[in-house]
Amino acid sequence: MKLIELGLTEAVELVKKGELKAKQIVDDYISHIESEDPKIQAYLNCAFDRASSRALEIDNKKEKGRLAGAIIAVKDNIVTRGLKTTCGSKILEHFVPPYDAAVVERLEAEDAIIIGKTNLDEFAMGSSTENSAFFTTRNPWDLERVPGGSSGGSAAAVAALEAMAALGSETGGSVRQPAAFCGVVGLKPTYGRVSRYGLVAFASSLDQIGPITRSVEDCALITSVIAGFDPRDSTSARFPVPDYFSDLGEFSEKIRIGLLTESSLKGVKQEIAENYHRVQALMAELGFETKSLDLPSWQVALPCYYVIAPSEASSNLARYDGVRYGFRAEARDLSDMYVKTRTQGFGSEVKRRILLGTFALSSGYYDAYYAKASRARQVITGELQAAFELVDFILTPTTPEAAFKVGEKRDPISMYLQDYFTVTANLSGIPGISIPSGLTAAGLPVGLQILSRPFEESKLFKFAFKLEKSFDFQNNRYRINTSGRRKNEK
Amino acid sequence: MKIDLNNLSRLANLELTEDEKELLPGQMEKIIDWVGQLSTLQIDGEEKFISVDFNLRLDEDLPRESLPQSEVLSMAPEAEGDYIKVPRVLTEK
Repeated sequence: MKLIELGLTEAVELVKKGELKAKQIVDDYISHIESEDPKIQAYLNCAFDRASSRALEIDNKKEKGRLAGAIIAVKDNIVTRGLKTTCGSKILEHFVPPYDAAVVERLEAEDAIIIGKTNLDEFAMGSSTENSAFFTTRNPWDLERVPGGSSGGSAAAVAALEAMAALGSETGGSVRQPAAFCGVVGLKPTYGRVSRYGLVAFASSLDQIGPITRSVEDCALITSVIAGFDPRDSTSARFPVPDYFSDLGEFSEKIRIGLLTESSLKGVKQEIAENYHRVQALMAELGFETKSLDLPSWQVALPCYYVIAPSEASSNLARYDGVRYGFRAEARDLSDMYVKTRTQGFGSEVKRRILLGTFALSSGYYDAYYAKASRARQVITGELQAAFELVDFILTPTTPEAAFKVGEKRDPISMYLQDYFTVTANLSGIPGISIPSGLTAAGLPVGLQILSRPFEESKLFKFAFKLEKSFDFQNNRYRINTSGRRKNEK
Repeated sequence: MKIDLNNLSRLANLELTEDEKELLPGQMEKIIDWVGQLSTLQIDGEEKFISVDFNLRLDEDLPRESLPQSEVLSMAPEAEGDYIKVPRVLTEK
């Protein structure tokens, strides 16, 4: 077996026991990335030298950390000291941050190895990586299709075995949707669970960092490492972090499952609905009590999100003005410099969202849009809270369709509809995970989303772990095409 | 709904490319009509969402170490001495 095929938890065990060298693993990944990534284009920048020297350090350590030798890819909107962080934008094309994000510090403190920075839609605005200012990442299952987004590079890297696991970030589904498209696991933790210190802000009341992994086990392990209070993020929660990994196992309590009504599935592609029906049947087989939920406010969750997120973005992105960091355009005076820098530095989707946000917050429209959306957000949150009095988990498809073709969605709204099932978790702050639940007839992965109460990640992982075994998706996992390897193996 | 894109771009310190001038007004109007679904909701009596309230507290207002000045300045497109340099603020008309 090649080292790249070794799962994260197994690899870490072997490295800790001294039966496998971290350096060997890194070497194997480097040669695989060199042969595979020209097709997939998951990485914006690789950090092979940094990874190799880290590996040697780890191999020489007596006491090794909880993620010793784990090869991790990091979305390029999470800052890395000395390693370019572009956000997929021209405006930060040459930006080299002077500090590490909290999550990077935590991973490295446990001896994980950062192998590179992955592609994304510019400033995490999009669902396909097509909005990256640099290139579009391809879905490893079908190179004509998108990997999803905005954390598409991270999901593709994990699916193509170009990393053991990756970090992504979410504002409206940017971890779960690409995880679903690429047949991997993706978690959006509870708002406040993971520090955002060093995550480039998009919409601060929604943003959260989450892992993308090959298995639920790996996801639980990484979440245990990156979660926890951080005084540098004022929204970081002061709750203790359970050992999610050791907590995986059987439930002793009775579990009640919330399912969507048929009317909530309209607009969903038939194969996705069929997959969901199979999941419904499986719940009964596994002996879970199910309850059909009526969640009327979900209908307005997307419009609500597309007022709130752009409003916050228009404010957050005001910092890119060519003064303190990033790109600066030539200009005759200061105000001309602001305008030229932003005009040349931002792509169309980012401009569209800044303008939308500016509109929703502008005088005369604020009450009808932003204030209305904040009230709708409260209603959506209340409705979910009420639902979680009745059930422990809510199951939904992660996406309304499987991975679409590059260039297929020209109309912005059709792209925004990707987030239909995912945005409610961001609006209300609850955690959600996407796990692969099957394949379409064309052989594309389908994702199942599981939502739970805030800070109940432990229970969420336990349940996802159980379902993962029932789906037995591992046997379907994308098999790498190694034909291009020989020339790199000299 | 018709929007005044010139005014919005001025507020956002943005100019639009020729392609964007062509495409954006129609797209934005469509998006604004689409999010306008919100206005059909009878929720004026509802509270506004303030923040996800998961045991958040205010930080104590204490001085903390920050990045060294030299590192901050090294990120700036242009710096001189202890200052970030920008193009002239006032120009002759």
